[in-house]
Amino acid sequence: MSMARHLARALLAAGALAVGAAAPAPISTRQGVYDEAQAQAGARLYATRCAMCHGRMREGTYETPALQDRFIANWSKAPVKNLYDYLARAMPQFAPGSLKPEETAQIVAYLLKANALPSGSRPLPVDGPALARIMLEPAAAPLAPKAASRTK
Amino acid sequence: MVERRTMLKGSLGAAAFAGLQACTPAARVAHASTPPPVPAPGKKVALVPIRVTPDQLIDVKCCIRPLRAAGPNLGTETIGDRLIVHNYGHGGSGWSLSWGSADVAVGKAMSVLPGEIAVIGCGIIGLTTAVLAQQYGLKVTVYARDMIQRTRSFRASGSFTPSSRVALTEPAGPAFGDLWEQMARFSWKAFRTCIGLPGKPVEFTDSYGLYDAPPQRRTRTGDPAITDSYATKGVPVQNSEFAHLDSRIRDIVPPSIALPPEENPFNAPYATRASQMHFNFPSYAHMLLTEFFGRGGQYVARDFATPAQFAQLKEKVVIHCTGYAARDLMQDPSVIPVRGQTGWLVPQPDAPYSVHYRNVMLLSKADGVAVMNLNSNPPNLGDMFGVGNSMELPVRADIEAGLKIIAPALLPAASA
Repeated sequence: MSMARHLARALLAAGALAVGAAAPAPISTRQGVYDEAQAQAGARLYATRCAMCHGRMREGTYETPALQDRFIANWSKAPVKNLYDYLARAMPQFAPGSLKPEETAQIVAYLLKANALPSGSRPLPVDGPALARIMLEPAAAPLAPKAASRTK
Repeated sequence: MVERRTMLKGSLGAAAFAGLQACTPAARVAHASTPPPVPAPGKKVALVPIRVTPDQLIDVKCCIRPLRAAGPNLGTETIGDRLIVHNYGHGGSGWSLSWGSADVAVGKAMSVLPGEIAVIGCGIIGLTTAVLAQQYGLKVTVYARDMIQRTRSFRASGSFTPSSRVALTEPAGPAFGDLWEQMARFSWKAFRTCIGLPGKPVEFTDSYGLYDAPPQRRTRTGDPAITDSYATKGVPVQNSEFAHLDSRIRDIVPPSIALPPEENPFNAPYATRASQMHFNFPSYAHMLLTEFFGRGGQYVARDFATPAQFAQLKEKVVIHCTGYAARDLMQDPSVIPVRGQTGWLVPQPDAPYSVHYRNVMLLSKADGVAVMNLNSNPPNLGDMFGVGNSMELPVRADIEAGLKIIAPALLPAASA
């Protein structure tokens, strides 16, 4: 587990995000971690590289994961780097490894926007340490810890 | 009712096949109202033809077989202080080798005397591994993205094919045959214990091969003009590289026999028949899940981004069963995708047999009639069909084309 993740966990547990933590402080996807131009480029890429399997509206199928809701839940509480790396290595499934780093970042930006996470003034970075500091969190505020358990 | 039964028994000679399958009273009544097919002149047998019109096509599914050149990974490693036992990469043999492979993996896990283990993945390998571990006395939690019904395992065809794209001969090495045989024989015995259970999770039906010319024994000698191989390309380049091990268990698996013309009920000049074991996915999954939860198994829905996350689980021993997903998760490029596609026709319990003709296969099971069209360009790719193809989008037109190819052979046979 990375130091960023340890920090993030501690902060999340305390209910406070990246306020006055030791540098480099983790950032949340709720804080505007991509920009609009990047997300728009991602939307165009999505239409040509992703939509044939995941659906035009990211709705997925019985067999192919939807890219919203449960998807965001699955990748949450972990660095955006995990999602970025997975896309870079394994997607699109019919041509894994074919996305350039900036394209991968654009698609991640598009998915964040599509899941109601706000844009900001700067694009999502492509370098590993910077991505490792950004924690993926859904747009909605979390429920009380007990109710949020998914293990039963 | 007694009279009706007597009458039905009288007709069994003509329709032995359909009659034998009618094991419930309800089915008997249905058969009494539908007369059994009458053999064509010069024929002794007739079958209810499988309906193969496109209106019967209710599903098309794709999956990716995880062919691993060296055969399934059953090795171990440690991550943090966790013992990881691998059980993935079974090619087109995952269902068929599931119990034997689970026995090997659970055995390795038990060598460090755990009380509880984690199983990653809930396809046929993960779930079978979990149940077998419970049978051996362990407490088991399955961690998986999806339940078995939504895994690639459920998009297979469901025949017992224990050496289908399971390894390449050279990279697997000479010892693999013995391990494979151990797993295949163990699995066969385990499947035998499921025969006749409610819902028919496992059953035998007749499988017919139809031919325009007398069937030849397949030869698998390599083309000497091809100098490349897995060793140079990282993927197999011809059929002769694949391990074919079925002859090692021919003492238990029924062979294919040539049918004399009067016993060939199809509209094709030559036919063979074999008894084929197959799996009905819904009832098989129900059987495994019922046992898993009945024995106190826990299921946790979650994904893993890296193997390092295995070390965060509470269990000290982890059996890793993620199939094709292991290519990315474990960064194992020796997992080679082999695309497979099945169409599914509405179940036709009156016609419970399988047929293959001109590279098209029909497998009529309780959960539907699986259709595979193995025609390719270039033709006759055999084991190479789908190798290197990880496109999992189904193509309905390929299935419809296959139905057209096989339809004429299913018509009542022309007189001999």
